[in-house]
Amino acid sequence: MSSWRPTPALVRACLLGLGGVSLGIVLGQEVLAVLGAPFVVLAAAGLAGRPHRSPQVASRLDHRRLHEGQGATSRLDVDDLAGVEHVTRVAAHAAHVAASPTYGAVGSLADRGLPTIDFSPRRWGRRAVGAERVALTSPWAGWRWGPVHLPETSLVVLPRTAPYDTRAEVPQPDGLVGRHRSRRVGSGSEFEGIRPFATGDRLKRINWPVSLRTGELHVVTTRAEQDAGVWLLVDALRDIGVSGGIDGRASTLDLTVRAAAALAEHHVRTGDRVGLLVVAANGARVPLGSGPRHLQRLLGTLARIRTDARSTPPERLDLGTESGSVVHVLSPMLFTPLVTATASLQRGGTSVVVVDTLGDALTQLDGADRLALPSLAMRMQKIERDDRLRRLAALGAPVVPWRGPGTLDTVLHQLSRRAQVPRVRA
Amino acid sequence: MRLLRPGVVPSEVVLRALLLVLPCAALALALPEVPHGLVVAGVVLSAASWAWFPDHPVGVAPLALVAGWWAVHDVVDWRLLVVGVLLTTAHVVATVVSYGPPTLAIDPRLARLWLARGGLALVPLPVTWLAVRGLDPRLAPSWLWLLAGATAVALLVVTARLVRPEQS
Repeated sequence: MSSWRPTPALVRACLLGLGGVSLGIVLGQEVLAVLGAPFVVLAAAGLAGRPHRSPQVASRLDHRRLHEGQGATSRLDVDDLAGVEHVTRVAAHAAHVAASPTYGAVGSLADRGLPTIDFSPRRWGRRAVGAERVALTSPWAGWRWGPVHLPETSLVVLPRTAPYDTRAEVPQPDGLVGRHRSRRVGSGSEFEGIRPFATGDRLKRINWPVSLRTGELHVVTTRAEQDAGVWLLVDALRDIGVSGGIDGRASTLDLTVRAAAALAEHHVRTGDRVGLLVVAANGARVPLGSGPRHLQRLLGTLARIRTDARSTPPERLDLGTESGSVVHVLSPMLFTPLVTATASLQRGGTSVVVVDTLGDALTQLDGADRLALPSLAMRMQKIERDDRLRRLAALGAPVVPWRGPGTLDTVLHQLSRRAQVPRVRA
Repeated sequence: MRLLRPGVVPSEVVLRALLLVLPCAALALALPEVPHGLVVAGVVLSAASWAWFPDHPVGVAPLALVAGWWAVHDVVDWRLLVVGVLLTTAHVVATVVSYGPPTLAIDPRLARLWLARGGLALVPLPVTWLAVRGLDPRLAPSWLWLLAGATAVALLVVTARLVRPEQS
């Protein structure tokens, strides 16, 4: 608990003012009396402005859940501003969080409102912001309350959904409702054909021009519209590369999480059911679901991925997928067990698309020594990875590097065509 | 190479430089009479410390040293007025700087407020200077000195009582 204490400025004014004048009178030193006179005024004004109540101070953030790049304002609440002339706030630096003012120090006279600090998280995840020191100063800078330490607040930063859109359909839609065109005839809106009326057909589907021309009742048939089950498999085993937040370079995990967020948003918006499996030490699994609330759940799960965690890759992936589901494996594919597990999924009949999220993480920097040990190791790792991806592609699992909008168009079109080819079951 | 720590605002640097310069300038007014080397060293070192830690009681030292030197030499000419202005300005500058860390930009409204306060604090300076120059203390009745002494002691006691932190 803090209390109002005299500032060094007041102590200085008292010593020089009262001490100077007293010594001047007692010792007959006229110079001390003259030099001390201005300090008497400053000391008297400072002493007179002493506040008597100890205020309660708290800070609060406008928003606790943000996307990368969005901003929240930290506001200060002081229950009693009587006797407070100036308020100073100094926020502690938080990793991947930009502050305004840049160094988190802000102060203002209390009659103009309490100072605010703006925070803007630059990277997804959980960010601790709001740890700060607050000091209140009385008129004439005589008394100071604090600085007191205010605790930090946890901020959930959702990944920024990179602009992503695709017009490609998922290969095998199998749900009941949605925006994907089905191969089955049903009560959708897409024209399929015209056929003679049969018992049970709805009257509103009768096509009167054709019926009049042919002399028989004909109805319009349409294709059903279906949704699809889409699984997002996020490889959070390692974070390779340096993250510069949304303004700088992206690490592998940055690319993975942002791509997953973009895909999740796209598919949920399309009406598909989306599930999520995070492969990590603190892995998480979100079952298939749809709707805006489900999207928030998916994004929240992605935001909880820890970037500092290291774990071993699984030998097999058990998604519990239904036939017709599509699995997007978002990974830099640097670990053989994960590649093997993906291949097993593909062999099991699931439509697997590998979204390569390595990005520039293994790109050699300009000026780096190509023969240095780290450079050699990096190149070897890249060669091994490329070989694994080639073998995976040979099994029929397309591998596409993440490039934002339209990344999966071609691949999904090909998968759709492949799914429409009649199969002979053993 | 960076001369300043990241985030330190230029206005803060200027004001801190003033904290070093002003007490030294107040002592330099004594030229051509050169103060004792220890006094000069004390003022420069303490002023430098004050410039580094403006919110520290060390700020009393350069002001007291300068005032003490002028008191010992009993100079009551025009230079005393200038010394008074310089010392008061240094105190006000230190007060403005001590509102926050070096990364805190100086609020222009706060600076204007303290400019006015500094001007107000300087009002008694010429008055006391004129009184010291124009009045003969030998003509004052003896009770006046007793009263002044008692008032000074009372003020010191009241101040000491006031600056004691309240028990919360």
